[in-house]
Amino acid sequence: MLCFVALAVFLVLSIFSAKYRPLARRALDCVVKKATLRPCDAGLDEEIKAASISGIMKISPGGASFLNRHFEAFSLLFTLLFFVSLFFAAQGLYNFIIYGNCNGFEGGFCIYSGLQNEAFLKAPTSLQGVSAGNPNANITVIEFGCYTCPYTKAAETGVQGIISNYGNKVHYVYKAFPLPSHPYSREAALAAFCAADDGKYWEYRAALFDRQEDVRQNGTAVLYDISRSLNLTSFDSCYAAGKHNDLLQKSTDECTASGIYGTPTFFVNGKAFVGPGAVIDAEKEVKKLIGE
Amino acid sequence: MDSNKLRADFPVLQSSKSIYFDSACTALKPRAVVDAESGYYSELSACAGRSHHSLARRTEEKFEASRARIASFVGAKPEELVFTKNTTEALNLVIRSLDYSQRRKVVSTPLEHHSLLLPIMEQQRRGIVKMEMMGVNQAGEIPESSLSVIDSSTALVAVHHTTNTTGMRAPLEKIVKAAHDAGALVLIDAAQGVPHSRVDFRKLGADFLAFSGHKMCGPTGIGCLVGKKEAFEKLDTFIVGGETVETVSLQAVKWKSAPKRFEAGIQNYAGAIGLAAACDYLSKIGMENIERHEKEMAGKLISAIQSIPGATIYGSVSAPRCALASFNLKGVSAHQVALMADSLSKIAMRSGVFCAEPGANVLGFGKGAARASLYLYNTEEEVRIFAETMQKIAKL
Repeated sequence: MLCFVALAVFLVLSIFSAKYRPLARRALDCVVKKATLRPCDAGLDEEIKAASISGIMKISPGGASFLNRHFEAFSLLFTLLFFVSLFFAAQGLYNFIIYGNCNGFEGGFCIYSGLQNEAFLKAPTSLQGVSAGNPNANITVIEFGCYTCPYTKAAETGVQGIISNYGNKVHYVYKAFPLPSHPYSREAALAAFCAADDGKYWEYRAALFDRQEDVRQNGTAVLYDISRSLNLTSFDSCYAAGKHNDLLQKSTDECTASGIYGTPTFFVNGKAFVGPGAVIDAEKEVKKLIGE
Repeated sequence: MDSNKLRADFPVLQSSKSIYFDSACTALKPRAVVDAESGYYSELSACAGRSHHSLARRTEEKFEASRARIASFVGAKPEELVFTKNTTEALNLVIRSLDYSQRRKVVSTPLEHHSLLLPIMEQQRRGIVKMEMMGVNQAGEIPESSLSVIDSSTALVAVHHTTNTTGMRAPLEKIVKAAHDAGALVLIDAAQGVPHSRVDFRKLGADFLAFSGHKMCGPTGIGCLVGKKEAFEKLDTFIVGGETVETVSLQAVKWKSAPKRFEAGIQNYAGAIGLAAACDYLSKIGMENIERHEKEMAGKLISAIQSIPGATIYGSVSAPRCALASFNLKGVSAHQVALMADSLSKIAMRSGVFCAEPGANVLGFGKGAARASLYLYNTEEEVRIFAETMQKIAKL
């Protein structure tokens, strides 16, 4: 049983050290034989058992005896745990590839986040997007966000804080990056552009974040409902015609070119900050640049 | 003989702190053997018996002197010793080359090493010989009654001197007499005999004696087949090539007589020189002293294993044996015992059926046993550590 676990472990170790490769080969040989219902004669399982029991015996002879008596049960348990963890690892990887986070929609700690590196992000070259603050300021804060992303919503209070506290010293630009993992993200982004046409972008944006869960659940109906509550006159025709499809595509292309892998992502004078806590770091960077 | 002092002669024991209990597989090599073997490459490195320059002549002299030294070690004449790769090749040489036109039966025992059994079985598969076994009891003994299988149709009796499974000796005196009385030749596999006791080819009276260098502190890749002149004449050619012939034309070949007839191609000169150095080394210590030391160690080894509850020793514990014991501990597989001995106390020992599967089945460890095999460099202290380690493993 243990050869399944051994194969995975030694394969990973083989990447870093050649000395594990013969062991990986033996484990593979054993796995192939087990899979074809032949006895494993590689002796690797015996070696693992002997090494495990001997190691424990040096600390606790009683523990070694217990392990020896129940070794098959432990092997089975570890093999099951291996396959269960393999399933979750694969699921996490799938979520990471599709949603940008191991946990899918919900987000949270993701071990694969280490694969992402802010150092590889490229600051956008244009300042196109919804902006606030002082366009002539020396400090530019660019946010790549998604209206139906819970983390973008969580960062919104911080964003508004930066705009209100440092508005005269900071030029804030928002670039829409509707992630496919977030329901109705594209629709919400297009709706926000239409609201901007009616001069009520910031009100619409606030409403989108306030009713984010509703938008995620019920989609377009909620977007229209918000427009009605704000008395947007041209919203219906703008949204129905997909007036800002090109603008959104341009924004999305810009995000892709920058290598954005999660929202919200902030660039403060070109320096990138990613994730739920990024707005705090972005504000710190702003303060540092201001000299506070 | 002081094993503790002898240990200084073995470079491996200085560099590794292992307790080496696997000498039946291969023995450790003393510095004198290592130096002698490497000396060939650093001082001679030429071929013997072909070229006539001084290096070749010196190689020839050294090679033949080595032959004489090794032959003398087993009480044989130089011309009675053929160099082979190992015992396996020596056994194959006899079994596959013997003339079976008059007699077809080959008698052996189930206790033999595969190196002896398989050539006989192969000859039987080809319809050349008929294999018959002497009976063996579960204690690993060959009862006198089982010798009755040797009769006037027997061409060859092939049997061990000392088994690698129990360390017990075959009753060679009786077997040789029974074989010769029936007019059969006797081939003795002495791979485990020559390293551990005084073996005298003349006194044994056998027709052939095979042994390896590496089990007697010599190099690997060198073995010997010792045979009587008239016995060698009953063998057809085996591996042929350079230096096995007097003259060759496309119509006829005139073969050399033994030993050259069986030494085709460039020989393992370094191995032969190294093996001669091993003979010198063992002679200097004294084979009687080694035998006495092993007897003492065997007693302690057996006592140590017997004191473990549930331990099984294979073969008769009362019969004389070299310092070797195959055993099993209750509830722990043989491989586990060997692996854990290495892991816990750096004891190097073997586990399995020791290339003697039929014998393992007869003795009762068809699924394998652990084997501790000691030699002249092993000490009482090492046996004590072995005993402690086995006690710990047995408690699992």
